Amino acid sequence: MEEEEGSIRPEFPIGRVKKIMKLDKDINKINSEALHVITYSTELFLHFLAEKSAVVTAEKKRKTVNLDHLRIAVKRHQPTSDFLLDSLPLPAQPVKHTKSVSDKKIPAPPIGTRRIDDFFSKGKAKTDSA
Amino acid sequence: MADTPSSPAGDGGESGGSVREQDRYLPIANISRIMKKALPPNGKIGKDAKDTVQECVSEFISFITSEASDKCQKEKRKTVNGDDLLWAMATLGFEDYLEPLKIYLARYRELEGDNKGSGKSGDGSNRDAGGGVSGEEMPSW
Repeated sequence: MEEEEGSIRPEFPIGRVKKIMKLDKDINKINSEALHVITYSTELFLHFLAEKSAVVTAEKKRKTVNLDHLRIAVKRHQPTSDFLLDSLPLPAQPVKHTKSVSDKKIPAPPIGTRRIDDFFSKGKAKTDSA
Repeated sequence: MADTPSSPAGDGGESGGSVREQDRYLPIANISRIMKKALPPNGKIGKDAKDTVQECVSEFISFITSEASDKCQKEKRKTVNGDDLLWAMATLGFEDYLEPLKIYLARYRELEGDNKGSGKSGDGSNRDAGGGVSGEEMPSW
């Protein structure tokens, strides 16, 4: 079926594009023309994203486009930023380790005794109650 | 605790509750190929960027389609057509795409008209006539 409408052959499989469109339950019918338009516009969008990300990569004097470059590229284009920025994973921030109570080494209790927090852990509580 | 019968996701699981991952995203190979065209010759794409772009393009499809579908519902039409999608793109701020898309749509209609005229009785050898879109036709933003 897809082969028949493949006079202009898109870069993406039209059947897959249709499935993605159909994930929205409100969509009833999509004609062949609309499928071709959305498929080609997706190519344009992808080309645009890659081009803008490559600009950021060059600015950062890198050769590999990474997630941060993509995020910056999206931020720079308002219409894309409007629908996409929330979907992008947040930048990986370096974790600063501050000494907290949980980091301290807790000495093991003497043999034959148990720590009080053992009583509150689910696994232990069940075995104790038995 | 009654077990509800789960429908087998044989046809891609659209009717069922869960959708297979490969039905939600476009193939990563196609995405890589198009992205590489836009990069300089020595450019590379990180895996994390590729995977994220794969999700982004699905978001884009849903975003545009949803807007076009809303228009159809308001106008009490059931079928989304090419012009609805062009309208949606203009409305959502992607007017840069309109010119190349109009050219593409005109060419598509022309070829479809030819196919209908000939009754698709050929041997199908004209399939590669307009295959894909050459790099020169891609607009530079």
